[in-house]
Order: sequence, then C-alpha cells, then structure tokens
Amino acid sequence: MKRLPGPPTDLAVRLGPLRLKNPVVAASGTFGYGSEFLPYLDLKELGGFVTKGLSLLPRRGNAPPRTCETPSGMLNAIGLANVGVEAFLAEKLPALRGCGTVVIANVFGETQDEYAGVARRLNRAPGLSAIELNLSCPNTEKGGLAFGVSPPVIREVVGAVRRAAPDLPLIVKLTPNITDVAVAARAAKEGGADVLSLVNTFLGMAIDLEARRPVLDNVVGGLSGPAIKPLALYMVHRVRGAIDLPIMGMGGISGARDALEFIVAGSSAIQVGTLNFFDPGAMPRLVREIDAWCRRQGVRAVRDLTGTLRVPGGSSPGPSAV
Amino acid sequence: MPCDSPAPVLRHEALNRDHFLLTLQSTRIAREARAGQFVMVQTRAGSDPLLRRPMSLYRVLPGGRGWFQILYKVVGAGTRYLSQQPVGAVLPTLGPLGNGFRLPEPGNRPVLLAGGIGIAIFPFLAEALRKAGLPAPILLYGGRSKRDLVGLGFFRARRIPMRLATEDGSAGTRGYVTRLLEPLLDRRKGSARLELYACGPTPMLKAVGALAMGAGVPCQLALESQMPCGIGVCLGCVVPCPGDARGPVFRRVCTEGPIFRASEVAL
Repeated sequence: MKRLPGPPTDLAVRLGPLRLKNPVVAASGTFGYGSEFLPYLDLKELGGFVTKGLSLLPRRGNAPPRTCETPSGMLNAIGLANVGVEAFLAEKLPALRGCGTVVIANVFGETQDEYAGVARRLNRAPGLSAIELNLSCPNTEKGGLAFGVSPPVIREVVGAVRRAAPDLPLIVKLTPNITDVAVAARAAKEGGADVLSLVNTFLGMAIDLEARRPVLDNVVGGLSGPAIKPLALYMVHRVRGAIDLPIMGMGGISGARDALEFIVAGSSAIQVGTLNFFDPGAMPRLVREIDAWCRRQGVRAVRDLTGTLRVPGGSSPGPSAV
Repeated sequence: MPCDSPAPVLRHEALNRDHFLLTLQSTRIAREARAGQFVMVQTRAGSDPLLRRPMSLYRVLPGGRGWFQILYKVVGAGTRYLSQQPVGAVLPTLGPLGNGFRLPEPGNRPVLLAGGIGIAIFPFLAEALRKAGLPAPILLYGGRSKRDLVGLGFFRARRIPMRLATEDGSAGTRGYVTRLLEPLLDRRKGSARLELYACGPTPMLKAVGALAMGAGVPCQLALESQMPCGIGVCLGCVVPCPGDARGPVFRRVCTEGPIFRASEVAL
C-alpha cells in the first residue's frame, strides 16, 4: 500500500448538538436496523447510521413489485414497512448496545400526532443519539399530500416532534419534490430543527411498455442512486446558501469523491443510501478514502472542507435563474 | 456467514446462444454454500447496471478449491454484460445467501420440477441428495422449446430419470411441466411418498404448488424476485403470503426464502 502524506485526517464532525467520529452515515431504509450489515463491515468504523423509518404501529408495506432498476438508479415504493417503534425499542435497539457508533432513529407518521407519538417513545431511549424526521410521508389529514411540501405543515410537525422529544438532537429530512427546497428548509428551522438532511428520493415511475402498465404496483416510486447526484448536490448548495443550519447531504453518493463534493457544497456529514444495496462493505472504504484524499490535498480536518465551494463571482443563482 | 468476495472467472462457456455456464472461485462462498442458496453477482463495474443480480448456485465443484458454478440465461442488460465477462475478470460476488432447500424425509422420493432456466438450482440439490444417502430424484423439465432445455448432460451422466415437456412439442411431451407431474401424483397411491421441489416461472410455481397441496404432497418452491440488495435490508423482493383480515403479509425472498413451502406463499 502506498504511504499517505501527513498525519491521519481529523475526521470528527459536529452538527449542532450531534457529534460524529466521521462524516459517513448510513441512510434510512438502506441499512435495516444495523445488525444486517455485521457480516460486511464493523459498525465502529461508521460515523453513524439511520434506522429504517419507524411508525407507531408495525406496517406491512406495499404489494410487490416494490422496486425497479433504472439507468444508474432505482425506484422504490416499499410503503414504509417497519417493525413499529415498540418492537424497535424492545428488540432492535438493545441489540445495538455498545455497537460503537451513533444510532439515529428515522421517524414518520400519517398524522402529526403519530409523528409526535413515535418521537415521545424514543426520547431518552438508551443508546439512541438522535431522531431524523421523514417528511416525505403522505399526510392522511391533508388529502395525502406529503408533509414536506407545505411550509406551515413542516413548521407544525417539526415543532410537535421537538416538544415530544426535547432531549434528542432533531434532524429533519427534506423532500426534493418541491419547487424550492430552501423554503422547506427555512420552515424546518423555524419549527426547531437542529440539523437538515437532504435529499430524500425524487418521485418517478417506470413503465412496462408492452403491458402498458406501471412497473411498480404503487405506480409511483422514489428515485435514488447515482442518477440523482447532480440534483441533490444542487439542493445542498441551495440550502447552504439560504439557511444557517448544519446539513447532512445525500443523493447518489457512490464513492469518496462524491461524498467530498457534498461536503464542499455545504454538508457537514453525508449519508450513503443505495450504495449499501450493491456494495454492502462500501462505507468503511469511503471513510478511508476521504482520509486519503484529505491527506493528499493537505486538508487537516474534514470539517474545514464544509462549504468551501468557490463560486465565481461569489453569488449563486436561485431555482429560477437557469 | 455470507461474505463479499472478489471472485475470478475461471471458465465461461456458452451452452447455446443465450445460456451460459460460469465458473467462479471463492473459497468461503464454496465452503459455506448449501443447495438452494444464491449469490449476488456484479455483472459489470460502474453504475450501469447499478444493482447486482441474484443467481442460484448451480454446483460447487469437488476438489475443495472453492470453484462454484452459475448457469444463467441472458434475459436483459445485466445478464448480457455478464455473458461478456472473460476468463480472468474478477466479479464482486456476495454469498451464500438465502435459506436453501430442506432435504426430504428419509424414504421419500424427491421430484425436481424445472421450468426453463429454473433448472439452474437443481444440480446442487441432486448432489446434496446423493451425499446424504437419500433416494435419487426424478427430474421433470419443461421449457418453451427444445432450445430452452439446457444442462441435461449433468442429469444423464448421473442416470437421474428425466421426463421432458415443451410448449411447442419439439422435445418430450407437448405442454407444460405440470402435465408430467399429474400422472405421478395420480399413480402414487400405495407407492413411496413423493416430495416436490420446483423452480421456474411464477405461473408454473403457482400451478405446481396447487397440485401438490391438492394431493397432500410436501412441496418446496424456489422463488425469483427483483432483488436490489439480497441481504434483507431493502425490502424490495417480498412475496405475498397468507395473512389475515387486513390482507396478505409480505416476506423477503432473499432472507426468509428463496425456498418456501407451497403453503407459505400466496403467489
């Protein structure tokens, strides 16, 4: 192995009240409840991981087909299948004691009360480091529109969760399926978010041409993978320029260079999602490659890279400027 | 425990225009594999195609050198790229995954039912049966036409009785593989009990499962599914299973399967 220049990079990062040993975090829905990856990596090597989204009651999810591969990406419509918050607390979380990394619980609900109810159960759960709110869930009280597309709804649901789980750092995960993601980011901040994570999947579909039917039973799914990276990168850049909150960036990250681009665009940490499906041992390698890149570039601490993008002229166009 | 192994291609033979037999090397995968399990193979480096492909283990070759084989048919972009991988290429391969077959009760006669490329899962099972000293199986093998019936040499060499069916009548009985099964189920009264093992297209599995349950014969079905991860986290590969008044429950083909008892699934 080639010797790297300089001392090991300081990889520790801080996102408001949340401290991570390194900036590489596994994204919700791509890492199960953690233990599934034990054959392929050591959890201690990760900055953290986010659990599958948790609801108040267990959910079975959508009928298959639930996924479809697309060019450099994939669609999924799992339907938020999960064991429910009680089973998570009784069976999954205790198994993670001493796992050596930060465990973040992803939370969703069909109503604001359900969000708050799940968060209340998780507040002060031993071994849990933070909550991440999934705002892409349809709001059954508002005609099925996702929570994350309406700024007043975002403010309210984030505020309700903030009050229900006052002791845990609160990460709010933004949907990209909105005209200007900065508007959603501002609403999340006003509701009391500590950290923003972005972006969730983009709505999309695939068609079986001969059958003239949608491929997914749910018709519509969320697009992830390398195909969305430029879209996600732009949104991180946009939010960084508009809102003063730490960001966990994600969207199609498949290597250390992708991760570093998200960091330069304004992320303090990054999340790795679809990559975990096709390369389950990838994340520790990402951490090592980030260290190697920083050493070659003479970057002493990875946190010094956040938001160091050099934009010619210093300003950056909004969503309608293209 | 499964592992992700950089598996070199040792041999790669075309059996006909769209069927290939791939020999890979991974000591750990070969050592731990059981009949009915599968591996996730990267068909090409890069992001197109993005996902690995689930492939049944065809055989683990004797000799302890970690050689194992996959028999596959080119059905889309992923398998087309795979078919172009030369000897010496290294394919990231994850496995062995899934539950594998349960061997039959001693004394029961195993009947293997293959539809098309579903044959790919059975040589490993035939060898496991022989190793366990269990009765030799009968193979019932159906395909669209003669060209879809591949890998017959393995079963011929071991004198495993075979009956063939093709939809166009170009080999064996004209019709589906279930036409070969019906007389066996009718005639079995008084003779040894049968146990069925089926792998093939979903309509075939559904028909075989229904016949088996109607006759009270144990039957294991090897399922296929769109499978992004293979390790139980994406929840993409689920199959509907008998549930309750609220509807079906969903089980993961990659983790609770790919082998299910016919009564466990609602295809």
